[in-house]
Parts: sequence; C-alpha cells; structure tokens
Amino acid sequence: MTAVAGYAPAVETVAEIAAEHARQADETAAFPTEALAAMRRSGLLGLLVPEAEGGAGGTLPDLVDVTLALGRVDMSVAMVFAMHCQQVAAITAYGGEKLRAEVLPSVARGERYLGSVTTEAGKGGHLLTAESALEHDGEMLRVDRQAPIVTGGPYADAFLITTRAPGAGSAAQVDLVYADRDQVEVEVTGGWRPLGMRATHSVPMRLRGAVPQWQVIGEHGGFREIATTVFAPLAHVGWAAAWIGAAAGAYARVLRHARSEAGRRQFAPSSELVLLRLAGIRARLDAAHALLRHTVSVVTDAPDMSAAPVQMLLNTLKIRAAEESFAAAHELVELAGLRHGYLTDSPLALERTFRDLRSASLNYANDRLRLANGALSLRDPGVRLA
Amino acid sequence: MNTEFTELLRPFLKFAGPEEITEDARLRDLGLDSMREIELLFAIEETFGVAVPDDKLVDSTFATAGGLWGVVEELRTPVGGGSR
Repeated sequence: MTAVAGYAPAVETVAEIAAEHARQADETAAFPTEALAAMRRSGLLGLLVPEAEGGAGGTLPDLVDVTLALGRVDMSVAMVFAMHCQQVAAITAYGGEKLRAEVLPSVARGERYLGSVTTEAGKGGHLLTAESALEHDGEMLRVDRQAPIVTGGPYADAFLITTRAPGAGSAAQVDLVYADRDQVEVEVTGGWRPLGMRATHSVPMRLRGAVPQWQVIGEHGGFREIATTVFAPLAHVGWAAAWIGAAAGAYARVLRHARSEAGRRQFAPSSELVLLRLAGIRARLDAAHALLRHTVSVVTDAPDMSAAPVQMLLNTLKIRAAEESFAAAHELVELAGLRHGYLTDSPLALERTFRDLRSASLNYANDRLRLANGALSLRDPGVRLA
Repeated sequence: MNTEFTELLRPFLKFAGPEEITEDARLRDLGLDSMREIELLFAIEETFGVAVPDDKLVDSTFATAGGLWGVVEELRTPVGGGSR
C-alpha cells in the first residue's frame, strides 16, 4: 500500500474543507486556516516525512497525487501544501541529525507548518543568489532577512531561509537556514492584494533573529546543490501538480454542469463546436499530466540531477504545465460564456481558476526558464532526451 | 593548472578580483553562473583544442578550477597515455 492509499481519507477531508472555504478565502485574500488545520489534524503535513521520523514516508508520486487532488478544489491550498512539502524534503535530504530529530517528528504530528523564504528584492527572482548575510554572533548565526513574497508566512511555525553564507565573498555563496518562529522576530511589512492565488496570503516580511549552527541545512554555501537536487525539482513538480489539478477541477465542474438538466440546454452534445472545445481542453490536460508523470519518473531515477537533459525536462514541465493549465482555464471560460465563465458567483468558479492560473507563468518566470533551457541545450548537443 | 587556463577563467569569475585562482577555487562562489558556463566551455574547447563530451557537462565538472582543469588535461591526453 502506498502512503497515499493510506492517506486517501485525509486528502478527502482536507479537500472537502478547502472547497467549503475556497470562495471566502479568495474574496478576502485570507490564508486557508481551516484547510491548514485539517492538514495538521489528518497528518497530511507529514506526507513526505520518513516513516522512521513518524511520517508517512511518502514519495514524489504521492506528493503529486495529493497536490493534484487539493488543486482541484483550491489552487492556493495546493500551492501551500506543495511548498511545505518542498521544505520537508530539503530537511530530510540535507538536514543534520539534530535538526531532523527536532523538526521532522513534529511536522509529522502536524505541529509545524514550514514556510519558505527565498525571494529577495533586488535579485530579480534569482533563486541561487542572496543579498542579506548570515553573520557570526558568538555561537549563534544572526539572520536579518527581508523578503517581498512569503507564501503563508504569517501562519508558518518555522521558516527555511536563504541567506548569504557567513563571510561569503559573493552573492553566489548561499546558505539555507532553518529558523523556528520563536527564534525570529517576524514583521509583516506590507499587504497581499493579488489578482489570483489570493489564499496563499504571500505577504512581504522581515525576519530577524539568531539560530545555532546546527540549523544550517547542508554545508555553508551548499544551497546550490540543495536547489538542484531538491528545491527546484519539488517546486516545479509541486506547482505543476497544483496547476494541472486546478484546471482539471474546473474542467470537471464544467462537465458535470454540462450533464445537468440546466447545462444540457447550454451544452448540446450535438454541437460540434462544444465537442471540439471539450476535446481540446482534455488534450491540454492529458499532455501536461503525462509530462508531469514522466518528469517524476525521470527525477526519481536520475543519477545526476544537474545533467542538462534532466534540468531541461524539469524546466519544460514548469513552463508547459503553466501554459497548458492557463490555456485550459481560458478555453473553459470561453466555452461556458459570460454567466458561468465570468461571473464571480457562478458555482463553477471558472473566473477564480482563471485568475489563479494566470500566476503560473510568473511564479518563477517562464521566460527565465526558457533562457536557462537555451543555455542548457548547448550543453547537450547529442540531444539526449530524458 | 597553467596560466593560460587561469587567465581564460578570470573574465568568467566576476568576484575573483586580482587574486590568484587556485586549484580549489569554487567557480560558482567566484561568480560563474550557469548562463555563462556554455561560453566558458566554448572558450576552453577552442583554446585547448578539446571537445568535452556531453556526459561531462554536469555541475561537478564546473565545481572547482582544479577539477575543470583535470577534465581538460584528461581530454588532451591521447588515448592509451603517452607523452603530451
């Protein structure tokens, strides 16, 4: 039995609660506290925590299954979940024994929801550089970090923060540091008024405090390796699952509507236009989903994650999942028309999914990844397709 | 490492300054970014008359100056060993 089979009831419960609050959370741009509470209670937060540390020992395919399911009802909840799992995976893979023992069992018990602090003003979205420094202060390492976007930041029980390594000569020597909420003074420095994915409540924050050396994840300057092997793959896979899930959920709502009594008048199955549009949307979802599953299998077996074919595939997944999911939402709006496609009070919630998915190409910019893939393709003249 | 090699490296390492580039210099810490890695590769191949095989084009090859030089040296050595 896979971890996810065991977790099916938990996923169902969380999805139900997320669905119940999705509209309200979107309207008020509020964090989905009820869904997070359900993730804590049900043990879902511990999906990727190894069994030895009290978790479900879930794998990458499990993360995909759960994130897809949550994305169907609320893309923001799915993003929050996937990004938490990304932090868990980084600690599991690179955290020292003491940090793992301190953090992972409590994550499995639902006591710690982990936030991610990687954005920084002035570095143009570059994941692999950091401006603010980590400084020695006696036995401790002092953090003073401002971040323009911290998903769920005010609700996180602890943070994984990228900073410049102590004594670093350049912005390219980046550390990943764990900080509990009570180790840092947390200041929310602005609001969150976005078009979509409003329930992620991704506010700007300033974190100031000090942590002991053992809370550095991996070696000093080791974030690049963590990014290559864990952070980037889990981000791209997790986001893709949230986006494809969101588009699939919207598509399912339209199809159910089309088969209802009221819907049958609008969506005549004899209309070739309707059939062609439905087929086109399904093809987008199938193609993106196939790419997602294939990428997961490549990542699972890759001997070296830094190899150009693997890197390009991961980037292509992020780019294409963003494009296909948003295009699917766009076409669903077109198909459903003004009443159900555009009005915010339609039970089909297509306009919300449309706004949510508009963020996908920007959430680590597709263009930046295309540039990277251009450079990477020159590293692979043999075109070794992964 | 010969001087030709370290001087070829220097323009790609924006944080290296005028200091000596040692074997254990970590190229990424010194500012080599993935977008310019390919330009460095082309420069190395042209200067030393080698062709770096696809399977060597991984992060570990570009980790340190000495490591990268090792790859170049290995490619310059004729198959079966012998003198250079």
